[in-house]
Amino acid sequence: MFKKVLIANRGEIAVRIIRACREMGIETVAVCSEPDRNALHSMLADHTICIGPAQSSESYLNIGRIISATITSGADAIHPGFGFLSEDSKFAKICERCNIAFIGPTSDMIAASGNKAQAKKTMMDAGVPTIPGSAVAVNTVAEGLELADIATYPVMIKASLGGGGKGMRVARNREVFEQAFLTAQSEAKNAFGDDMMYIEHYVEHPKHIEVQILADKYGNVVHLGERDCSIQRNHQKLIEETPCASLSDELREKICDAAVRAAKAVNYENAGTVEFLLEPSGKFYFMEMNTRIQVEHPITEWVTGIDLIKEQIRIAAGEPLSFTQDDIRITGHSIEVRINAEDPEHKFRPCPGKIEMAYLPGGKGVRVDSAVYSGLEIPPYYDSMLAKLSVWAKDREECIKKARTALGEVIITGVTTNVDYQYGILSNPDFIEGKTDIDFIEKHSHK
Amino acid sequence: MELRYLFKKTQTDNVEPESKAASESPQTPQGLFQKCDSCGETIFAEELRQELFVCPTCGNYFRMFASTRIGNIIDRGTFEEWDNDIPEKNPLQTPGYEAKIRRLQDKTELDEAIVTGRGLINGHPSCIGVMDCRFMMASMGSIVGEKITRMFERATEEGLPVIIFTASGGARMQEGIVSLMQMAKTSAAIKRHSDKGLLYITVLTDPTTGGVTASFAMLGDIILAEPGALIGFAGPRVIEQTIGQKLPEGFQRSEFLLEHGFVDAIVARKEMKDYLGNILKLHENSGEFVFDGADTKEQKKRKNTLTAWDKVMISRGKDRPVAEDYIVKLFPDFVEFHGDRYVKDDQAIMGGIATFAGRSVTVIAESKGHDTKQNVERNFGMPSPDGYRKALRLMKQAEKFGRPVICFIDTPGAYCGLEAEERGQGEAIAKNLYELSSLKVPVLSVIISEAGSGGALALGVSDKVLMLENAIYAILSPEGYASILWKDSKRAPEAASEMKLTAEDMLSLGIVEKVIAEPDDLSAANLSEVTEVLASELASFISGNLDFNGDALCEERYKRYRKYGV
Repeated sequence: MFKKVLIANRGEIAVRIIRACREMGIETVAVCSEPDRNALHSMLADHTICIGPAQSSESYLNIGRIISATITSGADAIHPGFGFLSEDSKFAKICERCNIAFIGPTSDMIAASGNKAQAKKTMMDAGVPTIPGSAVAVNTVAEGLELADIATYPVMIKASLGGGGKGMRVARNREVFEQAFLTAQSEAKNAFGDDMMYIEHYVEHPKHIEVQILADKYGNVVHLGERDCSIQRNHQKLIEETPCASLSDELREKICDAAVRAAKAVNYENAGTVEFLLEPSGKFYFMEMNTRIQVEHPITEWVTGIDLIKEQIRIAAGEPLSFTQDDIRITGHSIEVRINAEDPEHKFRPCPGKIEMAYLPGGKGVRVDSAVYSGLEIPPYYDSMLAKLSVWAKDREECIKKARTALGEVIITGVTTNVDYQYGILSNPDFIEGKTDIDFIEKHSHK
Repeated sequence: MELRYLFKKTQTDNVEPESKAASESPQTPQGLFQKCDSCGETIFAEELRQELFVCPTCGNYFRMFASTRIGNIIDRGTFEEWDNDIPEKNPLQTPGYEAKIRRLQDKTELDEAIVTGRGLINGHPSCIGVMDCRFMMASMGSIVGEKITRMFERATEEGLPVIIFTASGGARMQEGIVSLMQMAKTSAAIKRHSDKGLLYITVLTDPTTGGVTASFAMLGDIILAEPGALIGFAGPRVIEQTIGQKLPEGFQRSEFLLEHGFVDAIVARKEMKDYLGNILKLHENSGEFVFDGADTKEQKKRKNTLTAWDKVMISRGKDRPVAEDYIVKLFPDFVEFHGDRYVKDDQAIMGGIATFAGRSVTVIAESKGHDTKQNVERNFGMPSPDGYRKALRLMKQAEKFGRPVICFIDTPGAYCGLEAEERGQGEAIAKNLYELSSLKVPVLSVIISEAGSGGALALGVSDKVLMLENAIYAILSPEGYASILWKDSKRAPEAASEMKLTAEDMLSLGIVEKVIAEPDDLSAANLSEVTEVLASELASFISGNLDFNGDALCEERYKRYRKYGV
């Protein structure tokens, strides 16, 4: 087992990792930027090394400085957390070269997952459902129609060089395809000077379902159930829960099986998450594989009783999984609410500043992962997440009530937060009834 | 008390760590990282290699090993090294020199400071020499001079182009006067190579100084540079000590040389191979003449009711296409070359090479801008002497390589200013008329908008002159004419008609061979209507001159201008 782990991250995830290490008797080294000298992770770790100025490229993203901090401090492993360098295959590769254990998958796996086209092909070959559509771009209506038939309607027509919604059109059926194709194509030509178009199946009002995977270095792969992360704003998750309220046991098994197949297809190791889009029809499609711990991992920990961070460390240290798929039991229901320093009244702009007072709730089935304390200055340079509140109860109904109760106790003054906004979602009748999909926030935002 | 002292820290079980072999404990292996001298950033060596030794953080160019450079430029498996076994000499019997050479040979696995040989670049054969700074700062000893000279002699014999990547501190102190003579020896070999009509390209890399700059580095037909390279004769430290002043930022860097007219183009390392391959291809000129455009030479005559003054205004119009627009449409593979090799790069003249219907041509244009910013950079299309000298340099280059010259004329006139006079505006224009009259390759000029006086004629002594319907050609502006003759520049519209400056007038005076019809309101949107006709004209001009006789061309051109006037 490792003697000393360096945590190449900040905020609540760094705190979370320090706690896991401490329980395991592993010394911790925190790294921090100059404005983060008083951040909780800097205070909590056994050793702290300041690695540079505020700008991430000069500190938390600076590979050279992190590697030299690791070697100087005598750490034998790095936990990258999420964000920053966690999915940087170059960073993982350098760790490998320097005999530093990277707590995560190998650099090759990260690189393979990062290459979307290659990943999609690997998944197709492994029999994991992917969004049907063109691997090639076309520029004539006739070719487009042919591909659309294969992709099945509705289809999304998008510019191969596209971005920002330009050169994108949905065609609901064969009759309107030509019109939509030509409009999208002429937009693409004007915006990007290229008229090559991709055609793929348009997944409408899906849920975002992801499956937690654990895999050791010896080919053992298990899943820890799914998480429903459909409550999103601009692709930012706000509230996550497990299990998914509207998944039949049969479909759950299919999705989780697919996730295990996906992990096996790339010989995955360590913790990972396979993301799917689930159509109302029950069809689901592979989106991508996240090769790191996720923000929302606590809800999986609640319902399985497994400490994912500790498992990550054990796997990286070469230990085999101590349980099999049959040992894993999903019990009760869990919800996580992200608490951010942002202003919902003003387009969710980040609100850094000094925390005057922070009171965070507790009690049975309530967990808070946070890095704030009264008097802490929240710097403007990084992510605006302050804390994650996660709760557990025996069923969804009770769980929502518990989440609301606990959230109602959260008091953070000095900076504007999204607490009331999140409280509103937990009280929304559609949410309570489980009528959620990735368009939920957009649909309810006018209220 | 700070929180950090209040938190209880990790309780370890205090078992001594299993002693790992040193090779297994965390450490950075030798060479895993490299430091950038410019930004100080630590760079993953593997990434640096992928980036061809350009710092991914700040874009700084690292110096390159000759072998890496050759691997980067020459097609895999085609490099054949020459003359790597010339025995070293110590001409001045400098103590310790031989031992130093041997130490460096062991350390660098090089025989001397330059590697020479031949190979293919994207399939195009060329000789190549690459200097390597690790070897005594790539100073030019007698072996360096000898290898270069032998390469040029062999290239001359075999009819091959030569490319040299220069990098050098200059002459080699240990070889004294013998080293100095290498400058003369290499230059002489290059002259013989050039006299055979063969191409020589230099690529100046960091640092190119001293006797190397003052000989083979600056003798390329085409001189390229890597970004940010130090290039100069005297080193910056020597200059500072001599003049007792601090040198300005960017002095003697590639960009400085480009601005001052000594470099044709700065090429990024990642694009260098393709750039060189393309230049070689353009100089092989072995392509068949294939023109697949329509024959649109015969245009329908329409009635043009515009007055001369209307045409003056149209020719100066803000939205009227400029030379660059014609070049983009007619010569999509145009490669621009900069500089007059004396003072500066005048952007009022745009010149370079391209292919048309499979044949190489030199294109030179008086270049106005599309907007105010561009117009300021291009001095509103009014060339300075440096511009005319750049044009002449490119014309002579075309003559050397036997390519037709296509000129686009669009200028209010040669620039009228202090510096222009100081550097000899009159002399520059005169020299162009003089040299163009006997240039031994076909020359076609196209007047696209304004052709103002001598400044226009400097690109217009040609075998054939075409003129757009609403373009004008005159000895001076109508405003100037009215002001001189009638002391009233407001009478310019009247002057315009009196001056006989329209295309129709030029045709009837025999000044131009043909008028090209224009659509109403010629602009970028309908420019193709004109360029299609021009393409057809170009095709017939080039195909009519596929086997041109230089002397006959000059004779005809002489007669063409001999007939004007009395």
